[in-house]
Amino acid sequence: MFALLEGAGFTKVKSAVVPGFRFRKGSTQSAAESFGVKAVMMTARKP
Amino acid sequence: MPAVALEMNPGKEVPLADSVQLADAQAPLESTIKSEVIRMYQEVADRPDQEFHFYHGREAALMYGYDPAWLDRAPAGAVASFAGVGNPHERADIQPGETVLDLGSGAGLDGIIASWRTGPGGAVIGVDLNPSMCLKAQAHAAASGTTIDCREGRMEDIPLPDASVDIALSNGVINLSFRKRRVLQELFRVLRPGGRISITDIVSAKQLSQSIVNDPKLWAS
Repeated sequence: MFALLEGAGFTKVKSAVVPGFRFRKGSTQSAAESFGVKAVMMTARKP
Repeated sequence: MPAVALEMNPGKEVPLADSVQLADAQAPLESTIKSEVIRMYQEVADRPDQEFHFYHGREAALMYGYDPAWLDRAPAGAVASFAGVGNPHERADIQPGETVLDLGSGAGLDGIIASWRTGPGGAVIGVDLNPSMCLKAQAHAAASGTTIDCREGRMEDIPLPDASVDIALSNGVINLSFRKRRVLQELFRVLRPGGRISITDIVSAKQLSQSIVNDPKLWAS
């Protein structure tokens, strides 16, 4: 996503992991973890 | 709005170009995905007492750091239907008088909070796939004494003119699109020079299996 934002023309792209994000169901959380799924917050600016 | 997603992060296990090409190749599934996304999040809005595989409502909003005072002030229906994955307001720094786009506005909680920041001199424009969600968002905004101009539309073709927005928010929505590059290009187009985005979303460090990519229910949920 970071690279896509820069590719679209955005600058000052910043990202951070959303602390505490998780799925409610354990099976979904386990599957998500196996794919490295995480929630992120991103900011960027149009020059 | 948690969902599985293709991450496009260089340096990870999935090369950028491969992910984009795969996503583009799935475009024919889009109409099916659209229907499933509408169904899923309509259910969250209509039956927020249900348990979903993701956290939603006040519990989720508090988990992501929303100010409890916001949640007390906002209409109960908007809070109960909240299905975001983070708090895009944390770094949005919305100023009075600004025009805000809430991409995937759902039941309206993020738009309502944004409208409190912009004040009467600003504007909040919601965009949602589902026209009935737009009606909910506008009703919730009215109930909280503010206004959201919500428009039915797709994030790949945002129904706004060029350079018309100061800041775009989005919360757990972009991951639902097969054409993420297109979505980000659209966000860039509608922003004014100097405009900014503050989004929260789901990403994956690994390529999703084809069985997930091809399953509208898994993609949407």
